[in-house]
Amino acid sequence: MKTETVAMILAGGQGSRLGKLTKQIAKPAVPFGGNYRIIDFALSNCANSGITDVGVVTQYQPLILNSHVGNGANWGLNRHDGEATILQPYSSMDGEKFFKGTAHAVFQNIDFIDKKDPEYVVILSGDHIYKMDYQKMLDYHKEQEATLTVGVMPVPWEDASRFGVMNTDKTDRIIEFQEKPEKPKSNLASMGIYIFNWARLKKYLVDNQAKNRQLTDFGHHVIPAYLRNNEAIYAYSFEGYWKDVGTIESLWNANMEFLDAEHELDIRDRNWRIYSNNPNTTPQFLTESAKVTDSMITDGCYVAGEVEHSILSHSVKVGKNSYIKNSFIMPNAVIGENVRIEKAIIGEGAHIHDGTEIIGTTDTIEVVGYDEEVGGYSDEN
Amino acid sequence: MRIKIAPILNLVENSEKLKPLTNRRPVASLPFGCRYRLIDFPFSSLTGIEASSAALFIAGSGHSLYDHIRSGATWGLESSVGGGVFTHSHINLKAELADTELYTGNYYDDHYHFVSRSNADYVLLMGSSMLSNIQLDSLVRFHEKKESDATVIYKKIKRKDVRKDSTHTSLIMSENDSERIAGLHSLDELTDEEEAVLLNMEMMILDKETFLNHLYSARQQQKDVTVKNLIQFSLDADKTVFGYEYTGYLKVIEDINSYYQANMDMLNEDNFNALFYRANPVLTKPKNSAPTYYGKKSEINNVQFANDCEIYGKVQNSIIFRKVNIAEGAEVNNSIIMQDSYVEEDAYLNYVILDKHVYVKKGARLEGTPENPIVVAKDSIIYAEGEIEKGE
Repeated sequence: MKTETVAMILAGGQGSRLGKLTKQIAKPAVPFGGNYRIIDFALSNCANSGITDVGVVTQYQPLILNSHVGNGANWGLNRHDGEATILQPYSSMDGEKFFKGTAHAVFQNIDFIDKKDPEYVVILSGDHIYKMDYQKMLDYHKEQEATLTVGVMPVPWEDASRFGVMNTDKTDRIIEFQEKPEKPKSNLASMGIYIFNWARLKKYLVDNQAKNRQLTDFGHHVIPAYLRNNEAIYAYSFEGYWKDVGTIESLWNANMEFLDAEHELDIRDRNWRIYSNNPNTTPQFLTESAKVTDSMITDGCYVAGEVEHSILSHSVKVGKNSYIKNSFIMPNAVIGENVRIEKAIIGEGAHIHDGTEIIGTTDTIEVVGYDEEVGGYSDEN
Repeated sequence: MRIKIAPILNLVENSEKLKPLTNRRPVASLPFGCRYRLIDFPFSSLTGIEASSAALFIAGSGHSLYDHIRSGATWGLESSVGGGVFTHSHINLKAELADTELYTGNYYDDHYHFVSRSNADYVLLMGSSMLSNIQLDSLVRFHEKKESDATVIYKKIKRKDVRKDSTHTSLIMSENDSERIAGLHSLDELTDEEEAVLLNMEMMILDKETFLNHLYSARQQQKDVTVKNLIQFSLDADKTVFGYEYTGYLKVIEDINSYYQANMDMLNEDNFNALFYRANPVLTKPKNSAPTYYGKKSEINNVQFANDCEIYGKVQNSIIFRKVNIAEGAEVNNSIIMQDSYVEEDAYLNYVILDKHVYVKKGARLEGTPENPIVVAKDSIIYAEGEIEKGE
């Protein structure tokens, strides 16, 4: 059977507003929710939507991201008729093929998509926390006989100027696009999710390239070009939980929200599971001195201290008389004894020595970087 | 270090005294330590020597075992260039069929083909009821250094550490060389509780040729291919048989009590670290899961949990497997609760083993003793009035 749909997950961005947390790793590989990395949501959505051909476009600091995704086996994508493929910039006779923007990243991977020869291409971002059935969006795309469908969600009017907003007519056809407008005409924000008819998109990308007009970015160049040519562009409204964890505060917030047992994301829903690269580690050990309330703990953890309203990712150690509140602790962090951590994000493999205090505020979340050591004996002086 | 070895796992193990937990599963599939099954331990030992294949001999259907092992990829037993898990099921040991003409299986042939077709230098025999974490590379080095024909793993224990009527054996060492094995004792003949014995852990390495010769003897004498018999064949043939001492954590899983105790042992950090962190990392079938959520009023004291649980009540000194829900007001002490079980509000459990998918209704109470924990079979429902609707 012919491949109907290929998904391209754009995972090459740096996410510079995450500061220390994206210094060594790409944003889609940033840990989330105890057992996941951000890209798991897009990958699991693909798997659950029945899309088994997935290109993961990586560029910035790709080591951890690439090894996390592998061949997609953890998401069930290593099938005889589908696979996850890491797509990285490469050099060729035409020069180096680094990706200059979202659309350019797809242009550089035309060969990959053509090899699959799909009818439709779903463009996704690897940066967002949400559950969405792309199949439903594809059905809508076909019903509207669209050449491009853009996933949108209504945002509060006061926030609309932070997004690319879509102005639609009564039939949900997009008639105007404004990128981060001062005076938004609509509150339908683009989620960075697009479904294109591949043949048409390819023609745009190739023709414009030939005329030395590069369509670098979907928002800035491709959508305006489609609008100019009066293509059938439709908005597909999504009304679930969707979060761009682009800043330290939003990453912290999203993790704190995730703790709520009634969270809209419903992480325990067996019908739409979020898969990940699962570490093979020991059970979680909560000792006699442990006190754990309103928290999520993951396998491999050893807890001898007190944990309140926090997430401990896998293989975290918390020593005696330590107190962790309103914090997100990434995998393999070691927290010593008599440590106090509040409103903080502790990076993977960080080591917080005995007696250290790390206290943030809601506006300024404290961050300890990956493998960073805090407190204890220092020989720097 | 990759060692050319042909591992044979004899999983036809005595499971009578572990019922009802073994009603529908072999000993090798017994859930252990929140997220493991006993087979994970010998398999994880095999990863230490990068074994690429293993032969399993099991009785009965072994559905739970197949489901757990799948292709064996978790333990490196699946590759496109050879190796793999070779399963021989519905095996009946010759001993069970003594004096009958029923036996038509390929018991000896299966052993012969697996070993003779492998490119191994050595044959390794293991089971799953000796819960331990063995570093096989050290065993092989010892075997080679001693230029031994056969080497058997043992551990020094007290006689009382195993059942009075234990079917296991202990080693008798040679008077001239304390590392050389001269014979075997049946443990049920030894009655002094405090006596130190060298427990035959029923794990053994032999040179391929030696094994094949013994296999021929076993066929001639219509005997089972067990470590006990192979030791005897070796001694009869004047081969050198050495004992290799294991000093890590060991529990012989031979009845409900030892099974319960082994789980409870893990709540002691020394035991836990000895089994999980001193030798090979213990690998099990990977499962996708969410972190475990502990509610605002949960009270936890010395407990191990797997992922995917929701805990709102009070839990002490217990081992909790995946997808267990313990409601607010419920209390669980000194218990083992397997996957998919649900404990409703105000239920009280003390010294209890719940097999998978047991439902404890609101206000129900079950209390066993440390020596006799109450075992509730898979899929049972426990009502507040004390009535138990039995599952399998």
